[in-house]
Amino acid sequence: MTIKHCDYSQHYRPRMAFTKKIEALVLEMQDPDTGIKTQTQRLVITTIPHAMTGHDILEWIINRLQILDEEAQNIGNLVVQYGYIYPLQEPKNLILRPDGSLYRFQTPYFWPTQQWPAEETDYAIYLAKKNIRKKGVLEDYEKENYNILNIRLNHKWDFVIMQAKEQYRAGKERKKADRVVFEFQERAYWLVHRPPPGAPNVIDYGLDRFSDPNENQVTQKKTFDVYRREIIFNQHSLMKSRVKSSVSLGGIVKYCEQYFNHDPIMTGCLPSNPWLTDDTQFWDLNAPLSEVPTKLRVERWTFSFRELLSDPRGRQDFQLFLRKEFSGENLAFWEACEDLKYGDQSKVKEKAEEVYKTFLAPGARRWINIDGKTMDITVKGLKHPHRYVLDAAQSHIYMLMKKDSYGRYMKSPIFKETLNKAILPEPTKISESKFPFNKRHRRSSPSPVILRQLEQEARAKAAATGPVDITQLCKFTSPIPHLTVYTGFCEPTSPTGTALCDFPPPSPGLMTLPNSTACPSPICVAIESTPASERKFEPSSISTQFLTIAESTEMSVSSDSSTAVVEETKQPSHKSRVALSFSRFLKRGCSNSPIFATLSPKCPAVNSGRVQPMNGEPQHQPQHHHHHHHHHQGQQKTKKTNNFFQIKVDIPSECRIYPIDSEDEEEEDCPNSVKNNTVKEVICPWETITEDGKAG
Amino acid sequence: MGKEECKTLLDALNKVIACYRHLVVTVGGTSDSQHLREELKKTRKKAQELAVANRNKLTTLLRDNTASKEDRAEYERLWVIFSTCVEFLEVDMKKTLEIGQEFPLNVPKRYLIQSGMSGGTSAVAARAMSAQNMKYEADSNIDVADLKELENEINQVGELMMEMEMKVNVANWTVEAKQDPGAELKSTISVGASSVGMISVNDETKSACDPTRVLAVVIFCAFLFIAVILAVLVIKLS
Repeated sequence: MTIKHCDYSQHYRPRMAFTKKIEALVLEMQDPDTGIKTQTQRLVITTIPHAMTGHDILEWIINRLQILDEEAQNIGNLVVQYGYIYPLQEPKNLILRPDGSLYRFQTPYFWPTQQWPAEETDYAIYLAKKNIRKKGVLEDYEKENYNILNIRLNHKWDFVIMQAKEQYRAGKERKKADRVVFEFQERAYWLVHRPPPGAPNVIDYGLDRFSDPNENQVTQKKTFDVYRREIIFNQHSLMKSRVKSSVSLGGIVKYCEQYFNHDPIMTGCLPSNPWLTDDTQFWDLNAPLSEVPTKLRVERWTFSFRELLSDPRGRQDFQLFLRKEFSGENLAFWEACEDLKYGDQSKVKEKAEEVYKTFLAPGARRWINIDGKTMDITVKGLKHPHRYVLDAAQSHIYMLMKKDSYGRYMKSPIFKETLNKAILPEPTKISESKFPFNKRHRRSSPSPVILRQLEQEARAKAAATGPVDITQLCKFTSPIPHLTVYTGFCEPTSPTGTALCDFPPPSPGLMTLPNSTACPSPICVAIESTPASERKFEPSSISTQFLTIAESTEMSVSSDSSTAVVEETKQPSHKSRVALSFSRFLKRGCSNSPIFATLSPKCPAVNSGRVQPMNGEPQHQPQHHHHHHHHHQGQQKTKKTNNFFQIKVDIPSECRIYPIDSEDEEEEDCPNSVKNNTVKEVICPWETITEDGKAG
Repeated sequence: MGKEECKTLLDALNKVIACYRHLVVTVGGTSDSQHLREELKKTRKKAQELAVANRNKLTTLLRDNTASKEDRAEYERLWVIFSTCVEFLEVDMKKTLEIGQEFPLNVPKRYLIQSGMSGGTSAVAARAMSAQNMKYEADSNIDVADLKELENEINQVGELMMEMEMKVNVANWTVEAKQDPGAELKSTISVGASSVGMISVNDETKSACDPTRVLAVVIFCAFLFIAVILAVLVIKLS
């Protein structure tokens, strides 16, 4: 027995559901009153009735379905393609010609169905019959198919031959006209179901299903656990919040109304649609980071906070505003979270660490203000970092920005200025003459690689020369945790360093900068205990900067412009230093962060001086003093190690309350281990023992 | 010999199935009619009878373990032909059922598809029934009434096939065809061993050629006659 065509539950969701619709239409065409008028086809000797012109068919479809010409042509083509109507004069060309070419209806037996696809046996019989009739003259592809079928159906071949002969003979019993019609019908059927090479196979609907889509597939053993999960699932579904359709529809309407003017398809775009007028001004004006945004764009920022954040230019503006308010770290944190989510996942661990060091660690350089619970969750999650580990914190910050800063931003002078400067482009003048010689001079747009480089340079420049923002995170450069501390320039600062600006103004004359509220000390410790490998030579520059800063801070809070840059650069490094010995900090249960937070908006310049990258240990105080003098002398030197360690700061009393670990003991050895001048990075609490060992 | 009987039976079945196919193709078209439905019914019944007879014969032959190897191969070949015939028949019957349900004849607003067929199919049916003329004795609502029976018959045929498979174990793919590709071309003219249809086929071919042939002969004779007369006149005159 041959394997029958299995239904595989196709009838539950039939692929060829359109057949029913076409059939209904075809049936309506048969009505003698309202259907299509037929005429007779005259062949050489015979006349065959029931032929129609393509034009008539089209007219009828248009009238019946009340559609336009184009659509009717489409539907007519479909009807012919699937074989419900076949052309008489050009049988292979299965389209509906709107002229006088003749068509005829196919008999229902040969209508396409999903249940009975065209069988190979039938095709073989058809070919054999054709062979007989035409005495061996078949088309090439038919001959090929014939041979293939002969091999494939070899066991049935006798049957095929017998049937072919018998059918041929039985056919002779019929009227000549009917015989001719039958031949037409069969040919039309096989042209649809076995198309010649080059013709599209319309019957192919893809793969068959192997299971009933409506059947309940789950046949797992109904254990207690299964039921329990089912119950939980259903309970959750009940608890799901539902929105009334009136509400959601109202929302859609509101959205459409609001964005109607901003949609370039609905309302035209100014200056003009580049695709139509060849004027690329529209794209230039709406580039992601354009100098002067368009009015529409700025208006969009007022719609919602999300709009503002999703537009890079808006973010830039917002960043400027936040800097003024000294809460730029929020946006920076948000951006860092986005980068973690959507960025390269192979670097997820490093990114998470950096984010922690820069934003979350107590005493971090750009510490963000989130509640304790979220902080706990995030820190815990950071042990096993993944894409969404910072989600809770990110949404907290997002809501903070949205509820707080966004409102103020909208009223701020920055925004108002941007709004005033925003341009409303002129519509392009379409030149009358369309001479080919008047062709617009086109140049290819700059390569994305170059664009990206330019962008990065611009960012770096902005970061270097922008307003002094203590909480500025130079995130454009590749953060190298170890190196950042040592680099003198702001770029490569990794997110290290706590908010240095958190320190209270140093008492003048305090070379040792006693005000390094706890933060420096950990750094100092950290630095001392970092493994040698982490040592870099760069600290020297930083140390010199520290020195100078220390000097300058002694004098005054303000720093002149020349040192401003230096300060800036030092600040991050300071901060990084401070943040480095983070683990120690944590071990001390350092709650410096609140202190830092409160202090951050204050005198940045001063604070930089506070940052004593090295030990701020109280015990080291005397040593610090000692070293500090030494350090003074060594100011000019570029010997980093010495300088580095010699900047000691007194730990203010607040810091001393923290339990002091063995790290402190280590720190005491610090001055001695000048050679170990490696800046230790802030150790994240989950980091491995190697550092812990050193850190104590 | 069992083989010969088998073959004849099989040929008969084959013929009936071929005729049935022709009949089914016209269902739903303009040449559909009550008569057609009746023809279908009768052909169907005949086919089923033949199928049963065939099956019985073949099962006995195949069950016979004393047959020689060539015989056995032959029987298997016949068996494959037979099973394909029955499958063929079953599909056609199912299609008849479906189209028949879609195109009831006496419903006022249901129109038949204008497929171009206008003639009757009685000759085909007669061929199937091996009768000279078809007699129609069914009621006028055969198109609807018949469908129920049709369903039952389809089930019966299905069961027949199942039984076949269960009883006899024949590997289809091991059967080799006796006919080469293109064999149909050779043997259309020489009718072969199909005894039942032979005479009628011969008649057919003759009758098909006859009108044209007769005409040609007549014209030729006419020309000859005229030529002869002219020649005589010429001779007479000269």
